[in-house]
Amino acid sequence: MKTIHITRYLPESSEIPFVQQFDIPADDSTSVLDALNYIKEELDPSLSFRWSCRMAICGSCGLMVNGKPKLGCKTFLRDYQENITLQPLAHLPVERDLIVDMDVFLTHLEAVKPYLISDDSLSTEPNKQTPTQMAKYQQFSDCINCGLCYSACPQFGLNPEFLGPAAITLAHRYNLDSRDHGKAQRMPLLNTEEGAWSCTFVGFCSEVCPKKVDPAAAVNQSKVESAKDMIIQLFKGNL
Amino acid sequence: MTYRTTLSRTWWLKHNAFKAYMLREATVLPLTFFILCLVSGVYCLWQGESQWNHWQTAMGQPWVLAVNLLAFFASLFHAWTFFQLFPRVMPIRMGHISVPANVLIAGQWAAVLSVMVLFSWLFWGKL
Ligand code: SF4
Ligand code: FES
Repeated sequence: MKTIHITRYLPESSEIPFVQQFDIPADDSTSVLDALNYIKEELDPSLSFRWSCRMAICGSCGLMVNGKPKLGCKTFLRDYQENITLQPLAHLPVERDLIVDMDVFLTHLEAVKPYLISDDSLSTEPNKQTPTQMAKYQQFSDCINCGLCYSACPQFGLNPEFLGPAAITLAHRYNLDSRDHGKAQRMPLLNTEEGAWSCTFVGFCSEVCPKKVDPAAAVNQSKVESAKDMIIQLFKGNL
Repeated sequence: MTYRTTLSRTWWLKHNAFKAYMLREATVLPLTFFILCLVSGVYCLWQGESQWNHWQTAMGQPWVLAVNLLAFFASLFHAWTFFQLFPRVMPIRMGHISVPANVLIAGQWAAVLSVMVLFSWLFWGKL
């Protein structure tokens, strides 16, 4: 048996979040997501939370486990003592129980133009890429958009305008892609205060990332790229 | 209707990762003291012999020595954190292979060591 304390929020009955306690039967294979499903099926059907794949692929089950951002399906009760606290992902607006509003996150992702931009949009030729060219960005393309890094980032917590770890990582991933020609379109945003430069390399984002993307590395590589870009713009007389 | 948790002033006390980060950033405090000592030393040298002697006496005070010693260790600690992060920020590839992080970290320490050796040779003329 494990005791789970969940921060709940039911806006139609109360504006103030409250903590509810549940006792869960658990064995070595019980994940936090299993526990939530057990509560919903057996104890309290009103509990709300997101999930889909239950195998760390879809990125929808993020929550705070004892104050640390985690994927519910990839976190196991066996790794915790008797008492476990579950809260919605930090730094994002909470809609209900463990469900957060991901809009800011998605807007930031979209803002960096996270797709291949080609020079010649009419070309139907396939792109060639060598393994060495792919190795440059592969790690950064493993992101599952779970948003854990945003909950880990104090700079995003202080200023939600900050593009944040995953969005900058995604921008960098496309900038490093030999098939892409959109770097010039992405740099102006990365060069701003809300771009790469809000990062102070706390590094917690990389610690919590369930996919070992190392967003902190991508953000700081982007700073180097941004510095280079700004010097080039200066010489071109664009600044 | 939504609610959003805000960061308190003590947010950095919540995780060891944040405490380590704050410790790294706090190394700037003793280092600022060291820089001030250095700048005032140059200024006193320019002012003449008596000022220079005053500065030397001031620098010999136990608490000044202690803070400067702290600054020395703080700079080594900061360097240690920086050297760890460097391979992630500036990954180096040579052709098909990327240089392993350990090699880059060792290279940076080797550079620190050679600067120290060079300076001890410059100041004391022997190793
Ligand atoms: S970088 Fe990692 S933590 Fe951030 S959204 Fe992507 S997978 Fe999640
Ligand atoms: S349910 Fe899909 S990542 Fe956890």
